Amino acid sequence: MWPAHYLDGRTPVRQAARVTIGPSGLEITLADGGASLRWPLAQVRQTQGFREGEQVRLERGGDLAEALLIDDVAFLSALRAAAPGAARAFHDPRRRRLRASLAGLAALVAVVLGAVLYTWGIPALAGIAAARVPVAWEVALGETAIAQLAPPARRCADPARQQRLDEITGALVATLPQPSYPFRVTVVDQPMVNAFATPGGFIVVFRGLLDRTASAEELAGVLAHEIQHVLHRDATRAILRQASTGILLAALLGDVSGVLAFGVDSARTLGDLRHSRAAEHEADHDGMRMLHAAAVDPEGMLTFFRGMQELEGTTPAAVRYLSTHPPAADRLQALAVLAAQRARPPVKLLAGYDWAEVKRICAR
Amino acid sequence: MTEPCPRCGVPVSGDKCPRCGVLVALYRVAMDKLRQGPVAAPARSPWPARPPTPAAGRDGVVERRRLVFHGSAGGLFGIQAVNVLFTLLTLGVFYFWGKTRVRAYLLGGTELEGDRLAYHGTGMELLVGFAKGVAVLFVPVALLTIVPQVYGVPDAVTSALSGMLSLLGLVLVPLAMVGARRYRLSRSSWRGIRFSFRGPAREFVGIFVVGSILTALTLGFYYPVFVTRQQAFMISHSYFGSGRFDFDGRGRELLGPFLLMVLLFLPTLGLSWFWFSARRQRFFTAHTRFGATRFRSTVTGGRLAWLTLSNVAAIVLTLGLAWPWTVVRGVRFAFRYLTLQGPLDLADVRQEAQAASATGEGLAGLLDADFGVS
Repeated sequence: MWPAHYLDGRTPVRQAARVTIGPSGLEITLADGGASLRWPLAQVRQTQGFREGEQVRLERGGDLAEALLIDDVAFLSALRAAAPGAARAFHDPRRRRLRASLAGLAALVAVVLGAVLYTWGIPALAGIAAARVPVAWEVALGETAIAQLAPPARRCADPARQQRLDEITGALVATLPQPSYPFRVTVVDQPMVNAFATPGGFIVVFRGLLDRTASAEELAGVLAHEIQHVLHRDATRAILRQASTGILLAALLGDVSGVLAFGVDSARTLGDLRHSRAAEHEADHDGMRMLHAAAVDPEGMLTFFRGMQELEGTTPAAVRYLSTHPPAADRLQALAVLAAQRARPPVKLLAGYDWAEVKRICAR
Repeated sequence: MTEPCPRCGVPVSGDKCPRCGVLVALYRVAMDKLRQGPVAAPARSPWPARPPTPAAGRDGVVERRRLVFHGSAGGLFGIQAVNVLFTLLTLGVFYFWGKTRVRAYLLGGTELEGDRLAYHGTGMELLVGFAKGVAVLFVPVALLTIVPQVYGVPDAVTSALSGMLSLLGLVLVPLAMVGARRYRLSRSSWRGIRFSFRGPAREFVGIFVVGSILTALTLGFYYPVFVTRQQAFMISHSYFGSGRFDFDGRGRELLGPFLLMVLLFLPTLGLSWFWFSARRQRFFTAHTRFGATRFRSTVTGGRLAWLTLSNVAAIVLTLGLAWPWTVVRGVRFAFRYLTLQGPLDLADVRQEAQAASATGEGLAGLLDADFGVS
């Protein structure tokens, strides 16, 4: 005989009761009034009492069920022993220890699996997926991005000078066996020394960078590097990787919302930087080969990066490590080795034009 | 033998009424008991002891009750560990079942007057709700953003459409808030009686849209009134069975604390926000009633700040592993400063469950609109 409480599912009155386990079901005798109920075991389900600290709760009936609450978890063992046929429907308190160790094991496996996915799985999947994205999608994506990042009002669109820049781009793109992207270079009137490529062949050069180039060859070096990013689909891959890492972290961290946004974002950024350093090296390498193929003097690229290195000398070391471009000294060394492998003499770019005049594309 | 059902009067031949489904004998016993008023528990040993009632109302002393949480961080960690693993292995599908397991643990561990709360939701409901939420959210968003781009609509039309998109958000967020609350309350019970939420969504959309616009127009000073009106709507349409919760607070009471918080925000490096949050919590709680029971919160800004900041630090430093600990700590914190005062009168409360789908819940998850109104 087990002390229990009975809830009829209609009133919030908790009635003291006694339960006995009979051969065909539970006999419930209520303390007040002595009414007694019989619950055939086949109609009884357990909804609570699977863990330490929980009450055993048995229910009978549809959605708004009657319920029987028993504090002593030993009731379950007695019930299972008395009705071996129905035992499967009820929790076995002896297995709690086993379940606890299985949960610990699950935690371990989850952490390892998460780390493996984060380190290898997602980058590999993003690479495979990025290679299969149709060019038309990339171009559409690039158009959207460029409309945001380089709004038409800020573009420098002097037609004659733009044509000179397009000639440089054309010379580089002509070396590709089959030009798969409609490459377009846009100069934006902003003082920062930077350039980037979106998916689909849109290359943005900021005025600050253009001002620092001393020759068409220097700009060609930058453009060759960015064209390689487009061909390698680095930006497309980064977008896919970011999205899937977000989903993975959401799965790992469960319902954690705003509180963790900061931590999640830093984890994502760090991961991106790791991948972007490798991508930069590749873009350097293949960009230099493009310069060779187009018979552009590689000294231009080297000179420009040397200038960048001097600029970088003024930023603190910690920031430099986290910057999106690898340490300039490394890059310069690697590039110098590649530059020396030139097969034929270079041809001057934009012969007959004054570069200082061409690069004033933003002047009004 | 036939006798009239004590509840609805229909002739009953067996022990269960064919119309309203009450068990006649039990219903009668319960009614008799209620008519007699509270009776001291019999001292005989086979019956479990009644939970001690601290102070009886008859003595002129205010009765006080507290919620007690019986769960542990270790228990929740075990649940969450399995959830994470299965979520990874099922490519995310198990997420909804995991969420349900966590809720069942938190509610099942919460005790009031010797009885636990119970959660009746299922993972499948959440999955279906999520799918519907995706349809509700992404179909209009796709129509308004992708289609105009594909067909090259002029700029003026595009900007008009993006304006419509923000209006849509202004409508969807309150719909999600109401939907999530409707679902969660309908799946929670205490002593076998379901909670429910019966507020009309249209009314809340009105409160939300008007409140958002007024808050923007008054540079934020309408905010205290706005949050109070939201809280009033959420509380006063909440039910326990047939019993309704009441809220009688006026937002202007919060205006002073709000202005003080704004003034001190920069000098205190934002800490005045916690002070205001605690003040708001005490205000909301003090104006909530259920029948003769009043609620009271004694939470303070300093304690709230310590809880929040140390929880964030714990999660960041352990890369999320401390999440179960912070959740259990948060529940214990909430219960420590919450009391129910006055007699808990349940004599008139009957089961009155309401149907609710999880679509709003799914939408709330998508919009990250998990709002802490309780």
